[in-house]
Amino acid sequence: MSKDSQMRAAINQKLIEMGERERLKEVLRAKLVECGWKDQLKAHCKDVIREKGLEHVTVEDLVTEVTPKGRALVPDSVKKELLQRIRAFLAQHATL
Amino acid sequence: MKMEEVSMSSLDNSKLEGLAQDILSDLVEDACLGLCFEVHRAVKQGYFFLDDTDQESMRDFEIVDQPGLDVFGQVYNQWKNKECVCPNCSRSIAASRFAPHLEKCLGMGRNSSRIANRRIVTGNNTNNKSESDQEDNDDVNDNDWSYGAEKKAKKRKSDKVPFIFIVKFKSINITHTHISVCI
Ligand SMILES: [Zn+2]
Repeated sequence: MSKDSQMRAAINQKLIEMGERERLKEVLRAKLVECGWKDQLKAHCKDVIREKGLEHVTVEDLVTEVTPKGRALVPDSVKKELLQRIRAFLAQHATL
Repeated sequence: MKMEEVSMSSLDNSKLEGLAQDILSDLVEDACLGLCFEVHRAVKQGYFFLDDTDQESMRDFEIVDQPGLDVFGQVYNQWKNKECVCPNCSRSIAASRFAPHLEKCLGMGRNSSRIANRRIVTGNNTNNKSESDQEDNDDVNDNDWSYGAEKKAKKRKSDKVPFIFIVKFKSINITHTHISVCI
């Protein structure tokens, strides 16, 4: 393991241990509902399901079709807000 | 591995920024996965397309906001001034009071005044033996008003009260009714 990846693993560990990852997840989830991201993606899911067939659609189908779109559709303002929180966490905990 | 190993020296700003971006990316991916699982579950449980209704049928369920109508578009308070005629005493009763009236009028409730009422009509004739007897019989045969008919009949046989007792009890009932009527 390189020093870099060690450092990343340590930070991620800390993020989970401190409960900050859950908090960030919850903030993101709420923001995405609020901005209509979830509705947009659900609409996209409907297209995928209609195409594949209600009986045959798998989680994998949805993940492959939806994730790229999901990433692209996150509004910049939401990204910015989350990044600020993450940076603040890093500043506090990556400087021991 | 301990946090102490992570020192600021190994983290220049660009690396820190890259790390922050990666964390955000992970979070977004989590959100996507979460949505996919949620949708998939909804599909398999059969409720995913439930909210898919056409505009046409949604119009039927729109909330009505007009004066004089309730949210369903029905005339508000349309029963307010309606009156019902009591099948027992033929009086007109406000619809909202009809159920409690009928209960009393037919003598089904605990404030039953039917027997007393009838006595008032026949002229407070509490000491008339034959009439009281008649009424007593009427009560005994009145089983069709209650579901515990058999039980009641048995009970009645067991509590054979001397006649004078019944008369006293009933006259108390009459005064009671009078008071409530006056109020
Ligand atoms: Zn009546």
